Amino acid sequence: MEKQSHLLLWKAVFVLIIIGLGFGIYAGSKSIDYTWRWERIPQYIINTEATTVRSPFDGSATIEKGKLIVTSDYGDDPLVIKKFDNLLVSNGDLVFEGDPLAEVENWNIGPLTWGLVMTLQLSVVSLVFAVVIGLFAGLARISSNPALRYLSITYIELIRGTPLLVQIFIFYFFIGTVLDLDRFTAGVAALSVFTGAYIAEIVRSGIQSISPGQMEAARSLGMNYVQAMVNVILPQAFKRTLPPMAGQFINLIKDSSLVSVISITDLTKAGREVVSSTFAPFEVWFAVALMYLVLTGALSWAIQRLEKRLSASD
Amino acid sequence: MTNRTDKSIIQARNIEKIYPNGCHALKNVSLDINRGEVVVIIGPSGSGKSTFLRTLNQLETISDGTIHIDDVSLTDRKTNINKVREEVGMVFQSFNLFPHKTALGNVALSPIKVKKKPRAVAEQEGRELLKKVGLAERMNNYPSHLSGGQQQRVAIARALAMHPKIMLFDEPTSALDPEMVGEVLDVMKSLARDGMTMVVVTHEMGFAREVADRVVFMEEGELVFEESPERFFSSDNPRLQRFLGQVL
Repeated sequence: MEKQSHLLLWKAVFVLIIIGLGFGIYAGSKSIDYTWRWERIPQYIINTEATTVRSPFDGSATIEKGKLIVTSDYGDDPLVIKKFDNLLVSNGDLVFEGDPLAEVENWNIGPLTWGLVMTLQLSVVSLVFAVVIGLFAGLARISSNPALRYLSITYIELIRGTPLLVQIFIFYFFIGTVLDLDRFTAGVAALSVFTGAYIAEIVRSGIQSISPGQMEAARSLGMNYVQAMVNVILPQAFKRTLPPMAGQFINLIKDSSLVSVISITDLTKAGREVVSSTFAPFEVWFAVALMYLVLTGALSWAIQRLEKRLSASD
Repeated sequence: MTNRTDKSIIQARNIEKIYPNGCHALKNVSLDINRGEVVVIIGPSGSGKSTFLRTLNQLETISDGTIHIDDVSLTDRKTNINKVREEVGMVFQSFNLFPHKTALGNVALSPIKVKKKPRAVAEQEGRELLKKVGLAERMNNYPSHLSGGQQQRVAIARALAMHPKIMLFDEPTSALDPEMVGEVLDVMKSLARDGMTMVVVTHEMGFAREVADRVVFMEEGELVFEESPERFFSSDNPRLQRFLGQVL
């Protein structure tokens, strides 16, 4: 009982600290001379602005069963509008070409959402390549063949020893020019090669953490090296490397913001563009941060689910 | 030397093993083992008995000498060692079960992947083998939910699933709690009765006395002495006496 009330107390302390931090941010925002205009942000995520439908010809309007039908005076096919939000004509009205008929609310995806989609595409494609690269580099890293081993070490050290931003520039301006790559390909290449180096080290440590007896048992049953790796070592290593892999995948999503320097309109670049049209940098960057958080949070949750499922054999 | 006839299924001749660090683990070890024979190897730790056992399926390479398993040379570069290993089952001190597979999954994995048996067939055979080692009730348990004795019995069933001609046991009861040693030895005894060729490294002198056709004593990388159990345990070889004095 004693212990439980202590736990409750510390949970209360946590809530208080969070409230305190929130209040600090609020007070900070009040103390500066800045007008918050949150209402400007949603339209850049989803644009629901109504567009006006105009008559394409001269004719007459009839309203039937909630549908607006405009019949042409000159034999054109009649215009039928099934859904509208605000009717601007009444039944039997004569309309002329260009007259407003009705307002239709369109759900247009805003630039921030497009940016989010681009970030997601970049991350997913890079992730697939990074895992493949990392798996092979990690296996090469522990290979008994010196050529493979040194190649892998060189790759890992080169990539880990240079900043991602510099690598993106090299991939885009040098390799991109030599191989004639478009922006997206260059961005994906830079991100997957960068992340692959880190995944290679995770794969290596994962495999090395499996007791050598597992390989011996598999080989003693007649499996060759590849069969033993695929059926015995890698499944175990996969489970053990999930937590560091999750961290690396989350890093990849965040690192993808750097490709905005080669003019890929990802979430970060979309954010910059929206700032320049709204003059509301604080709101935009908070919104962008939140959208990144949604991506990384979803990934984190998914991997935790997977970990739970794989723990059946523990 | 006894029993050195052409019936031998294992012929190990003049085996030398020198590790890269200079450690001389096996010194001119020769041993022939006949089909259906149970050979127990005993000796102090570090005597090279496990190393010798592991050379028989090439988990350990040898520096010099020749090994023939069923007339196939293990030192020949053209020999597919994976094929040889299908014929030579091995049971380890630390079980080495695959922790991500159930007991049945452990037993069926190699027949499916190596022998390309259909899953249903491999699992049916696996169920029968697990029944044979007394684990019919535990087929779908993961190794982490099995006792040491149960795990070792699954490991024996897993090795048997490849229908080996020879079974190697590397101190199969040394990692077990005393009350579980019996159940594993019972499975091994029934295997011996079925006529399996077995090479067993163990400290279980009772097992050696009761089941072995021949007992081999190794010390400091040398094969010192080999005899039938009756003569072995009544021998007055001074090195053997010293060792038996320590363990008995």
